[in-house]
Amino acid sequence: MKFLAPLRALCSSLFRGRRVDDEMDEEMRLHILSRAEDLERAGLSRGEAERRARIEFGGVERFKEEVRDVRWETHLENLLRDFRFALRSLSKDRKFVGTAVFALALGIGAATVVFSVFYNLLFNAVAAKDAERLVIPVIQDLESTGDRGWDAGALHCRLSDLDSIRQQNHVFENVVGYDSGVVQLRDGEGTYQLNVAPVTGDAFEFYGVPPLLGRGITPEDAKPGAAPVFVISYKTWKGEFNADPQVLGKSYTIDGEPRTLVGVMPARFQAYGRLRDIWVPFSWTNGMPRAQQEADLALLARLKPGVSAESASAELDVVVKRFAAAHPEDYPKHFRAGVLPLNDYLMGPSGYGSVFHSDIQLKSILYDLLAAVLMLLLIACSNVANLLLARATVREKEMAVRAVLGASRGRLIRQLLMESSVLAGAACLAGCAMAWFGMKGVETIVHEKAWANIGAETVFGLNAPVLLFALAATALTTLICGLVPAWRAGRVDLHPQLVGSGKGSGAGLRHGKFRAGLVVGQVALSIVLLIGAGLMMRSLYLLTHVDMGFDPKNILVVAFAPPRGHSQFPDRAKMASPEGQVLIQKDMERLRALPGVAAVAVNNTIPGYGPNRGPQVTVPGGTRAEETGLSECDENCADALGMRMIAGRWLSKGDVQTDQYVAVANQRLARDMFGEGNPLGQQLQVKAFTQFRSRGSRWAGKKPPDPPQDALFQIVGVVADVKNSGPQQPAIPMAFIPPLATGAFILQVRTNVEPGSMVHAVRDQIWTVDRDEIFWILDPLEDFLEQHTYAVPEFGVALSGPLAGVALLLVMVGVFSVMAYSVTLQTQEFGIRMALGAQQGAVLGMVLRKGIGLVAAGILIGVFASYGLTRFLASQIWGVSATDPWTFGAVVALVVMTGLAACLLPARRAASVDPLVALRYE
Amino acid sequence: VTGQAQLLPGTLDLLILKAVSLGPLHGYGILLRIEQISRRALLIEQGALYPALFRLVRQGLLTADWGTSDNNRRAKFYELTSAGRKRLRQEADEWKRLVAAMSAALGAQAEEI
Repeated sequence: MKFLAPLRALCSSLFRGRRVDDEMDEEMRLHILSRAEDLERAGLSRGEAERRARIEFGGVERFKEEVRDVRWETHLENLLRDFRFALRSLSKDRKFVGTAVFALALGIGAATVVFSVFYNLLFNAVAAKDAERLVIPVIQDLESTGDRGWDAGALHCRLSDLDSIRQQNHVFENVVGYDSGVVQLRDGEGTYQLNVAPVTGDAFEFYGVPPLLGRGITPEDAKPGAAPVFVISYKTWKGEFNADPQVLGKSYTIDGEPRTLVGVMPARFQAYGRLRDIWVPFSWTNGMPRAQQEADLALLARLKPGVSAESASAELDVVVKRFAAAHPEDYPKHFRAGVLPLNDYLMGPSGYGSVFHSDIQLKSILYDLLAAVLMLLLIACSNVANLLLARATVREKEMAVRAVLGASRGRLIRQLLMESSVLAGAACLAGCAMAWFGMKGVETIVHEKAWANIGAETVFGLNAPVLLFALAATALTTLICGLVPAWRAGRVDLHPQLVGSGKGSGAGLRHGKFRAGLVVGQVALSIVLLIGAGLMMRSLYLLTHVDMGFDPKNILVVAFAPPRGHSQFPDRAKMASPEGQVLIQKDMERLRALPGVAAVAVNNTIPGYGPNRGPQVTVPGGTRAEETGLSECDENCADALGMRMIAGRWLSKGDVQTDQYVAVANQRLARDMFGEGNPLGQQLQVKAFTQFRSRGSRWAGKKPPDPPQDALFQIVGVVADVKNSGPQQPAIPMAFIPPLATGAFILQVRTNVEPGSMVHAVRDQIWTVDRDEIFWILDPLEDFLEQHTYAVPEFGVALSGPLAGVALLLVMVGVFSVMAYSVTLQTQEFGIRMALGAQQGAVLGMVLRKGIGLVAAGILIGVFASYGLTRFLASQIWGVSATDPWTFGAVVALVVMTGLAACLLPARRAASVDPLVALRYE
Repeated sequence: VTGQAQLLPGTLDLLILKAVSLGPLHGYGILLRIEQISRRALLIEQGALYPALFRLVRQGLLTADWGTSDNNRRAKFYELTSAGRKRLRQEADEWKRLVAAMSAALGAQAEEI
């Protein structure tokens, strides 16, 4: 217990303070007494001797004070005394304390929540060990993506290439590979469809998150002939496995093969693909064709310590260029390969929430939010500074008296700072409590709403850096809001305070201007905040109300494995075969008979998100060629999806069944090719089908289908443009043709009821046709839009909206407190005016005018500032200009109304002043 | 009380150390001892002894213990610690050097230059 000794010494010396004083007293008394005795002995009278002894000794209190100054504990004691005094003087003014603590707590709480989101998403989002060194190898097709930067997809490569990368580089500590797919899992009772990620054997050790139960996948599991095993996610364990602790070691049938469950991962593990349910090792059984080894893998790598992303990119580029030389068919002509830090990748366009060309990036939104919340904190501070100043004005007399009685300037400042730190401390506690609830809210929004793909491994909480931030914010607020009043108190001019009444309007004027300035600043800041949030809201509104060209409501998308796709799991080539198409027809028949289903159609894209690229299309004899998206559809697509015919007809049943070379153009294609002319009956020439053009990515390693070359299609109809790169991008030229090349394998099921409720029924129908069918049932199309396109802007609105609301509330409090206070100061003046015959309405108007004057000044400054600042927001909003006049106007109106409301109560109090009472104050 | 010299700043501590080095003393005793060994030539502000004593105890140069004085009163007795003894030696040496230098300087005659 040795380390406790200094602590004990501190305590005892604190509590001994009194004893030291007493002992000193006793010693000094003894000294004077002995001296007096000596003097008496020398012949003085007793009284004279005592007097002389005391004079020779000097002032007892002065020497005691000198001792106190030597003791450092004294400072602590003073601090404690200041603290007690601050508590006492604050407790006299409950209303003030309540308002100040409330305002500060809102500020600190909001700042803490936003910082937690900011920190945990940007710097703590990944649970892996050494997460800051994790990178995703990416590849960019320099021809097609142009200047879109590194938003090209993840680099996919063959398993053998992975080994080459491991051996040929000097920058990675290790590289692991993973794939993704869907499997069926059967236990005795039911069948579940789960998202699977096959991983290389060392992937779990590489990631470094220990399993909750059992073990992760080990390199042994991936050796040829190893017993097949799998590991499940926490969510799957809680859901499909009922959180049964006895599941380990049990065998389940996965895609027809028995596999043993060996581990359950913790909640904070979402590695190797988005929202995976189970992980299995890449493995080869004897029955599996050798070609399966050529599965294409996404990669995750960890840089060696001290290696930069740039040098790793340079080296990877060289290695991948070598692969491209050996297998040119797998890679684009011109590309560059590189690495992106994992967090940037997750935050970027290919990561959370925006796989399909969303232009709105989470990262910039987080920085905006942080800036916004700092503004909010500033508003809260100026609010409290204002309250403190008002209080200081009332207390000027008290301060003057204390200064006259010998309190030094430093002492007074210390006292006032102590008061503001007591306020800030209380606000910090309250703010952290608020933040705790706020974070629960954020957690619900992020993890439980449809946007589970934002920060799957992120925990929003009051962790150490966040708490530290809250404390720092508190200290800062103490300084900001305490220093100005304290500094003012320090230079009080004593004379007029002691002589005059101290309550005249003259004394308040000087402070009045400063305080008015604070209110103006608050209003201006809130305008900036509100306009920012308003723009985000308007942008989200526009985004969710985009005309998609079809009706996304009540659509369930069922995707079968693409016919020429592949997986390391059982052969899916059957979908390409005639039998596959027959199966899909059977499925559609059954689904049409299902109650609740209105229509079923089949095509080869997810509506709204494809096809977003395609072959060159020309008019025979024409010179103009356009990259045109080809959607292979059946005859029911237009009706089922609610597309609008502009001219001609949709594909007929006959067209589809007999593979007629007919096409329906979208408006864009018709306009681009034929201008104002009539496109019906004209012909289109498709140069080459390159639906699955290899980009060294998803479709690498496959033979392209054998499509018709230079085929001519006759245009039979024109439809309104249908979005095909997400709601934000304008539609590219598009032609709808019968399934000729890739085949149609995505079912569009329109329901009469909530589509989410149909998932089980639809799945059961498909399994009735074929028990082993592999397919994805996507979230209902509206939810899909929400996840992929709305999620990030919605996230921004969900956080910035409340911030703006709090800012408005704080401004209301600020304007109210300043007006209420100035009315109190002017009570006497109002009394005189009314005694001299002023009408109530006139007084009311006077106060309102003053208040609105302040608000108007703030609005003016705020609007100008926003005009300059919102351009930084331009990349986070869509469809609305950064200086959108409607948003600006609405915000100004809102703030004017809030300001009026805040002024009304003080104004009415001013108008109802009783002249007699007011004059009696004198 | 004429002919007494004002104490130079800092010398009171040294005097206290010296007085206590001759045997444990209480506060008033220290005053008497200083007066005695300085032959009453120094003017000492009596009260100033106590802050100085407190400071020396705090620096670990003295220890203080309650005891009984000659006339049977409870009194605090101060005693030199080994650190105090060392400090006394150092400061006394310094002081002697200073005095020697000062008197040499002040006693200088024109012809010596």
